[in-house]
Amino acid sequence: MSAPRPITLLIAALGGEGGGVLSQWIVSAAAQAGFPVQSTSIPGVAQRTGATTYYIEILPVKMTELGGRRPVLALTPGVGDIDIAVASELLEAGRTVAGGFVTPDRTHVIASTSRFYAMDEKIAMADGRFDQERLTATIKAHAKDALLIDMGDLAKQSGSIVNAVMLGAIAASGRLPLTAEQCEAAIRADGKSVESNLRGFRAGYEAARVPVSPAKLPERKNNAPATLEALEQDVAHTIPAVARPIVLEGVRRLVPYQNIAYARLYLDRLAPIAEADEAAGVQGQLVTEVARQLALRMSYEDVVRVAQAKIAPERMRRIAREELCAKDEPYSVHDFLKPGIEELTQLLPPSLARPIQRYAERKGWLGRVYFGMEIDSTSISGYLRFLFLAKLRGIRPYGHRYVQEQEQIEAWLSLIVEAARRAPDLAREIAECARLIKGYGDTYARGLANYRSIEERVIRPALAGHIPLERAADAVMSARTAALVDPEGESLAKCLAGIEEQAPLRVAAE
Amino acid sequence: MERSFKKEVEALKLGDGDTFRGEGILAVTKALLQSGVSYVGGYQGAPVSHLLDVLVDAEDILSELGVHVETCSNEASAAAMLGASINYPLRGAVTWKSIVGTNVAADALSYLASPGMVGGAMIILGEDYGEGASVAQERSYAYALKSSMWLLDPRPDLPTIVRMVEKGFELSEASHAPVMLELRIRACHVTGEFAAKTNRRGEKSGLDKLAGPPRFDYGRLAHPPVIFNQERLKVEERLPAARAFIREHKLNETIDGDLSEVGIIVMGGLTNSVLRALERMGLADVFGALRVPVLVLNVVYPLVPEEITGFCAGKRAVLVVEEGFPDYVEQAVNVELRRVDMPTKVYGKGPLPKAGEYASDVLLEGLAAFLQAARPNGIDADTIAEKTRGLIAHKAKAATALRTLPPRPPSFCTGCPERPVFSAIKLMQREIGPTHISADIGCHSFATFAPFSLGNSILGYGMSLASAAAVGPNMERRPIAVMGDGGFWHNGLITGVASNLFNKGDGVLVVMQNGYTSATGQQYMPSSKSGRDGTAAGMNIEQTLRSMGVKWLRTVRTYGVAKMVATLKEAMRTAERGLKVIIADGECQLARQRRLRAEEAVKLERGERVARARYGVDEEICTGDHSCIRLSGCPSLTVKPSSDPLRTDPVTTVVETCVGCGLCGEVAHAAVLCPSFYRAEIVRNATAWDRALFRLRRTVIGWLGGYNSKAAA
Repeated sequence: MSAPRPITLLIAALGGEGGGVLSQWIVSAAAQAGFPVQSTSIPGVAQRTGATTYYIEILPVKMTELGGRRPVLALTPGVGDIDIAVASELLEAGRTVAGGFVTPDRTHVIASTSRFYAMDEKIAMADGRFDQERLTATIKAHAKDALLIDMGDLAKQSGSIVNAVMLGAIAASGRLPLTAEQCEAAIRADGKSVESNLRGFRAGYEAARVPVSPAKLPERKNNAPATLEALEQDVAHTIPAVARPIVLEGVRRLVPYQNIAYARLYLDRLAPIAEADEAAGVQGQLVTEVARQLALRMSYEDVVRVAQAKIAPERMRRIAREELCAKDEPYSVHDFLKPGIEELTQLLPPSLARPIQRYAERKGWLGRVYFGMEIDSTSISGYLRFLFLAKLRGIRPYGHRYVQEQEQIEAWLSLIVEAARRAPDLAREIAECARLIKGYGDTYARGLANYRSIEERVIRPALAGHIPLERAADAVMSARTAALVDPEGESLAKCLAGIEEQAPLRVAAE
Repeated sequence: MERSFKKEVEALKLGDGDTFRGEGILAVTKALLQSGVSYVGGYQGAPVSHLLDVLVDAEDILSELGVHVETCSNEASAAAMLGASINYPLRGAVTWKSIVGTNVAADALSYLASPGMVGGAMIILGEDYGEGASVAQERSYAYALKSSMWLLDPRPDLPTIVRMVEKGFELSEASHAPVMLELRIRACHVTGEFAAKTNRRGEKSGLDKLAGPPRFDYGRLAHPPVIFNQERLKVEERLPAARAFIREHKLNETIDGDLSEVGIIVMGGLTNSVLRALERMGLADVFGALRVPVLVLNVVYPLVPEEITGFCAGKRAVLVVEEGFPDYVEQAVNVELRRVDMPTKVYGKGPLPKAGEYASDVLLEGLAAFLQAARPNGIDADTIAEKTRGLIAHKAKAATALRTLPPRPPSFCTGCPERPVFSAIKLMQREIGPTHISADIGCHSFATFAPFSLGNSILGYGMSLASAAAVGPNMERRPIAVMGDGGFWHNGLITGVASNLFNKGDGVLVVMQNGYTSATGQQYMPSSKSGRDGTAAGMNIEQTLRSMGVKWLRTVRTYGVAKMVATLKEAMRTAERGLKVIIADGECQLARQRRLRAEEAVKLERGERVARARYGVDEEICTGDHSCIRLSGCPSLTVKPSSDPLRTDPVTTVVETCVGCGLCGEVAHAAVLCPSFYRAEIVRNATAWDRALFRLRRTVIGWLGGYNSKAAA
């Protein structure tokens, strides 16, 4: 039986993005043009930022030419039967592919490259983002053709909502029997936020007609301003070329963090790593990773660093410009600090800090007693407080925390050097374990404790020969990954127990 | 309410000669007015919320027609409202979400169906089944069967839906039984058009009132001994009358086809899906011309035996397309055929799955399997089946191409006042250990998703406290029941609180007081600060609880996380026995923002001072651990790539949708996370004092080398 077929359109969006309004515009434009049209949706609790879809069918034959016949239009999208799949967000475009709604024989994909990260991606303790390249490649591989543009950005630039941009891109695709004028008329007829919606429509329409390179380049990393030629020349001499950019970043970070001598200490510490790297023949891979982690470890987060960041002139300008869009209006910025006993004693000499901490521990104050404060950093007194804290930089090297950090860094570096001699891949894994140690307060304590467990129960036994070296790098990597799975540490505990069970050498040795 | 229905209200005014355009559920609303209803009621819930919402906005039309509208406190009160049609020639309709609403209404429904109707009574069921559903997956069919109520399942196009509403009232009156009309989610939201008719006034209504009750008639009561006769009436009189009406008015449709050896019996609501599947298989066209004959059951209960046997006559096999389990219709078709000794083989569950929605690929597979089993003459069943499977073969591979995509369930809105309560529960549990949490129905059930993953059971709307009754006495720690104010008034007050107090129970109840039934579209409820007519009903949760005898009661502003944690700890630890209630107070942010935005726009226009706050994260200070997200889960709190070349993990960021509720700062503070959060405030239409102070600060800080310094510029 041959007869005209409806054009099918599946729209994937998030609750609150105006997908319902977009459907209404399309339905009203199609009805106005005289085509049989039908839309359905499944709002329910899928509203409120959850994933949802809208489904539209348009019969591309005018009602007047049908001789009174009425088409039977479907309410559910057909697997393998979608002509246009539209998505306001890249992961949701991926979901239409996974559902079987995108096929190379017919589906034209119009999707935004912008990401609205799902909860599981956001709550990861390190990087839980879904692989963007995999998404893009899969969408392109399954579609007849794919128009991938950053509709989120277009909406922002045109001061509209993403649904108007989507309508523009759909109109420009030429896949619907509707003209741009008919779509614009539908926006006008709807009568809500007409101006901004028309701006969004045109932005989407233009962007779809002149497809610029789809994926925006990953955000450019701001390189720190150059400092100290002498140090930089040193880098050029002692560090393999591949690691130089990272090492230079490290130097440029540590000079303002502390001083030139501190940056030189950084280079001194890297020298044996560079040698070990060369000896192991890993072509700068080891020194690059260590240089990155070492710079981060040496610029550990303490009250001085926080104060420096809070009063950086560039910070206030960024907030005023980007976030508040302040022209000449007065604004203020309020910061929240909540140091505990440990933070407060960080800058005291060890001889003073240790007894205080011991006393606090006896009293049960550690992890319980904090001094919360809200500081208006744009007020003179607030600014002065941070300025004072930032100026404490001078006494930092005499402080308890500094001593502690340097000891830990040295210990970590010596493990790397030792491992590099025997198993370069193990050395790299140990270097990367520094990634666990980050943050403040509880987060810092948890990360440090996790690192120590891995050091005690995997790294040291491996170096002592209780775990076969060929398995050690893998074991460290899986322990590190497990440590980043859940903050409660259940995965790490399970993983460590598994590693120990698998280590017969250790049992024999004990 | 979340939406204004001004446009839709206009559509309700259409008359003869006009064309109605809109959604299915609004077409039903219009059809009710065309049928001359005297009263309408119900309880909101997707996918039928709009039916009531639009009527609430349609005050003028309703008063013109004398229609009484009641926004009932739950489905039981809505069902009981139909009692008006037991004695009087009043047509009435109520609506709710099914299966859940029908469960709540069940008691009243039995007592409605037993004496039967004088005026037409109709229940519009939003059948919340399949994709997009939020309730236990069961069929409403069982209620029709057990209570002898008729169940309409119209073909999902507007003219049929409207006709079934109109005919449904006639059917109810002709057979003296209540009629249910079920619409699946997509049918409620399907758009289309139909030829409107002028609205009708009810025979008796608010405009032409009943003079008084009829003469006393014991037979109208559902009470012994007449209940025994009523049972007989249902079977011997009402059922035959209904079947006669269905046949006479051709409520079901037969579509012929040349492959007459086989046929398909389809529930009306699935008709379009089946016709589209046949079209893709090459056995139909888009205008509904078929090769396989189809019987469309717009009335799925009762079945008309003559229609079934008539359709099956001369057929070797039929397929019953009936979603969900049990397969009531398939069983009934088998019985009818057996009674007249017809040999037609009946397929149903088998080629089609026993459970789950009949989505496009499921139907294609089922129809292909049916054709291969039945093998009608005139087509090559194997070739068609192979071609059909080819249409969907890619799906399995596509599903794995991206491995596991992160799920994206609904979550609390930006700035939601309920989110901080769960942050607080998480923090409290860190200190005193995990405890049993009985969750409830409402937005707060989103706490069962990441990042909170809180909740051990959900037993129904307003049931959380009752469902913890036997947990508390058997567990070391006190259980916590979470309930919304919607659930509290729906039945939690009686089922939970009264029962707990009556039994001198213990435990903790957290009542989310946000002022609306938010999940269903922010309808007013008894303790809302306003109401349908602009004035509040005046009921108050705190006073209610006190008068019932709750001694330990605290009202805490939800955004104060530290205070909430302390209150929860106290409730968990106090030696005082008895129910401990925490009223978590914070207005629904969606409603609040809508109000505030309008107010601020007016102020800005008038040149008045407006201060606006939003939160931010200092990228240099954030180390990318995301503890803050794990404790908050706000949609505006997300991650972005770090611009620090040394860091690989993404950092936290606050996007521009932030409404400045302050939770992220509160959480970072209460949980001692990190100092990277800040609150930025901007003043529009600033006063001279604001400006002077700002200038002074900038200048002085500039001298000190701060944000206005020349060196930095």
